[in-house]
Amino acid sequence: MLDEPGGIPESPFQRGAAAAWLIGPAFLILAAWLMLGSQRGDLPLAPAVLVASDQITPGARRDPMGEPPSVMSGGFKHACNECHRVFDSPTAQHRPMVQHTHITLKHGMNDNCFNCHNRENREKLVLYTGDLISFDQVPRLCSQCHGTVYRDWQRGTHGKTMGSWDAASGLQIRLECNDCHDPHAPAYPPIAPLPAPQTLRMGLQFPYGAHEHEHHVPLQEGAGRNRKPAAHPEKHE
Amino acid sequence: MSVRIWDGPSATLDDPQPPRMTRRSFLRGTTAAAGGLAALVAALNPLREFTQQDEFTLDQFLQKHYKEMTPEDMEKALARIRAEVEKRYGVRPHLRDVKPRAGVEFVYALNLSRCIGCRKCVYACVAENNQSRSPQIQYIRVIEMPRGTLDTEKGNHHYTHPKVPDINHFYMPVQCHQCANPPCVKVCPVEATWQEPDGITVIDYDWCIGCRYCEAACPYWARRFNFAQPDLAGDAINPDMSYLSNRPRPKGVMEKCHFCLHRTREGRLPACLEACPTGARKFGNVLDPNSEVAQILKTKRVFVLKEEVGTLPRFFYYFDERYPNSLDPEAVKIGQAIGCFPGSPAPEALA
Amino acid sequence: MIQYLTFLTRCFRLSFVGDWRYYLWMLFLSIVALLGLNAYCKQFVHGLATTGMTDQVSWGLYIANFTYLVGMAAAAVMLVIPVYIYRNRDLHNLVIFGELFAVAAIIMALLFVTVDLGRPERFHHLMLRFNFPISMLTWDVIVLNGYLLLNLHICGYLIYCAYCRRKPGKFFYYPFVFIAIAWAISIHTVTAFLYSGLGGRPFWNSAVIAPRFLASAFAAGPAFLILTLQVIRSTTDYTISDRALLTLRNIVTIAMTINMFLLGCEVFTEFYTDSAHVASAKYLFTGLGPHRGLVPWIWTAIGLNTVALLLLYLPVSRGLQFLNFACVMLIIGVWIEKGMGLIVPAFIPTPLGEIVEYIPTLNESLVSLGIWAFGLLVYTILVRVTVPVLFGRLSFDREYDPNALPEPLPH
Repeated sequence: MLDEPGGIPESPFQRGAAAAWLIGPAFLILAAWLMLGSQRGDLPLAPAVLVASDQITPGARRDPMGEPPSVMSGGFKHACNECHRVFDSPTAQHRPMVQHTHITLKHGMNDNCFNCHNRENREKLVLYTGDLISFDQVPRLCSQCHGTVYRDWQRGTHGKTMGSWDAASGLQIRLECNDCHDPHAPAYPPIAPLPAPQTLRMGLQFPYGAHEHEHHVPLQEGAGRNRKPAAHPEKHE
Repeated sequence: MSVRIWDGPSATLDDPQPPRMTRRSFLRGTTAAAGGLAALVAALNPLREFTQQDEFTLDQFLQKHYKEMTPEDMEKALARIRAEVEKRYGVRPHLRDVKPRAGVEFVYALNLSRCIGCRKCVYACVAENNQSRSPQIQYIRVIEMPRGTLDTEKGNHHYTHPKVPDINHFYMPVQCHQCANPPCVKVCPVEATWQEPDGITVIDYDWCIGCRYCEAACPYWARRFNFAQPDLAGDAINPDMSYLSNRPRPKGVMEKCHFCLHRTREGRLPACLEACPTGARKFGNVLDPNSEVAQILKTKRVFVLKEEVGTLPRFFYYFDERYPNSLDPEAVKIGQAIGCFPGSPAPEALA
Repeated sequence: MIQYLTFLTRCFRLSFVGDWRYYLWMLFLSIVALLGLNAYCKQFVHGLATTGMTDQVSWGLYIANFTYLVGMAAAAVMLVIPVYIYRNRDLHNLVIFGELFAVAAIIMALLFVTVDLGRPERFHHLMLRFNFPISMLTWDVIVLNGYLLLNLHICGYLIYCAYCRRKPGKFFYYPFVFIAIAWAISIHTVTAFLYSGLGGRPFWNSAVIAPRFLASAFAAGPAFLILTLQVIRSTTDYTISDRALLTLRNIVTIAMTINMFLLGCEVFTEFYTDSAHVASAKYLFTGLGPHRGLVPWIWTAIGLNTVALLLLYLPVSRGLQFLNFACVMLIIGVWIEKGMGLIVPAFIPTPLGEIVEYIPTLNESLVSLGIWAFGLLVYTILVRVTVPVLFGRLSFDREYDPNALPEPLPH
């Protein structure tokens, strides 16, 4: 290693020469390795999550009974009074339905058919005052009880608007009560959610809140100090 | 004497002269240079796969910033993009540059009492805005929140209940809040993102350099980056496109919610709103006092997310009355006690 | 002009001359750099999906290294200040190595930013629409490139004067040296402001980030120089006194003490307040539920830094073995603490509370290693050329003569 003149034959320079000889072949090996082993970097692309287009169709949530009202029976469309002119209806409030069995009445204390339907003319709805209105004037009927919601709906702060955000354009359609709510069971039934996000390299995610188990839950603390929150139904999925 | 290496003797003992070009040293140098060159070429080898992609064109390279483009420049750029979309996806797009309307400032309002967490808005947005299906890019995140908090850190993004809403949670969708004081615009080094007169913060996808500083700056996690070439199924492409909104993005740039400006600037409503089954989403011109959003701001108790960061969002949340319904066992008990539910004793009986 | 071109040509040719250790070292660095280049080409073609970064954790290894290297570059000032302000004699002839390292470090830092870009070919957009002075990133572009130019000028001028065997004109470099002192502080301050200016990231939104950056840089930078100076000393006959190394040791000790103190302040504020904003710090130090990716790293860093600091306090580290040991620990410890330990946790959880962890991929690590190798390659060449020029073995009137006796510079 020492550069003394006349020193040992294995001088730094000779080793330098040997090392220099190494450079070319080393680079060639690297080149060969890069050419052969040149795979694509790992791209953990998950398959696309696809959703059927009917799941996201814009529009009303349900098809309301139009004006004039009708029912399908035996593959034919019948007007209400075709039957109701013949058969009288009893006045009793809570009685099992013989016809229209698909209707479940879940409308809170509003559990009398003739609160809304007219007993004499089934093709009309009836107001509290006894005035008859047609089936396309549903908001008037609902507003009798749901005054605050009706007020909000008039302002546009409740309900759904389709078409344009600009009322002046004349293209604005404000959906009416029964475009979304079933008048016999106005609360929304729960529906299946669309798939959870599956973003790049997201890894395993827990289907429940990450910190939910450790935070303070006032609702449950009322029932017992330091009680653990009730186990979530989905926790062990 | 100290050890000298780099400055050590560079001549052999037989050849006390300074280094000369000998045949051996020439050969050595040549093999080293050839080897180095070969290794360099081999290292650059992956670039060959590039020819399959046509995202680097001279026209795009020379294209000016959106704000500096003349109408002719824009027409040229639109023609180029139309051709690219048609070549790649086989669809002739209806592509244009939609300008903001005067006297309009868009605002979004979301009713947390109505949202049921069905994620229909998320996928309607994906379909409308030609978002990458793989890797997945979605502008809207719906967070399932436990009761008693508005801290999103306590929420859950990945709920998989068979049915929603879950009775122990409420749901909070988050997307770009189109802030009036947007931190993302502030940090962009090349002005590739800016706020338009109607309040929408937009991105020029042909100008963004992909530094992701805006993504770090956003307090609402509203920005998305194209980590790979976006994969859109060809038949799923929405041909109704504009330059600043939903035209297909190249890889390596940012994107985010733009309030569907190609729809809303032409008077229509955003896709997420139209897909919402509960009417929880409200959109409109806040400068019009009769608009739905103006009415909400006037009559409801609204709040914004993370007000403390001072971003002044144009995206408001609110709650309103919600009738106790039979899904909620607590409410059923209360309702039965006061006679609001069928099967309960008549109010007179209680009195 | 002709003389200057001859100088550059001679330097270029000189960079290919050396002994076996030099060749092997350069071969090793070239191979790693080429592997990095290859990995980057893959990234360029397939996109940043080849890295471990996601929309949730949108900055990772690249920006961590960038931050660290800006600090290393700024640390050159820790040699400049004692020499030019306090007239320290021991460090006088070593300043140049600090400044050369600053050049290499800035080149590495700029490369790290470049590989982090999604569309690097649009770099010219910076020239066309420069969001100055609003965007902190534009400030960073200015200060980093300015610092690179300042150091290139100072080093280039001094080395060229040595090559011409003439006394450097003070007017041509003294003002720049003093500008560079302030500028060095500014590069790391601006880099800290990149992070601390973001209100949406509470983990970064702290006034102590800039001082912490400076303190950790002034510890890790000189520690790195202590090691490189010993390598230079053992491979050339350049005189580097132990006293100079011990002066640097004092600097490292003080800077590291301040750094640990500031880290303690940060930890106290986060955990004693225990506000909702503590989540990132909790993720870093204790893990959030099953997510504990950074916990072993940060405790390794704290362990390394603590042991290094204790060693530095003890007289044993006046011996070079212990000093070197402490320096190695400190360089690694600070890299973890302010690289991965400061950049990554700010993204976990996301502002919306989602937790997605970040693990660098092999491709991303290769690119990073490649940039480090390239930077060290540049530094090695710079030093390899500088030493003979300072000794007069390569000068305007003669070709490189390795056997010439060292001639003192005209001072």
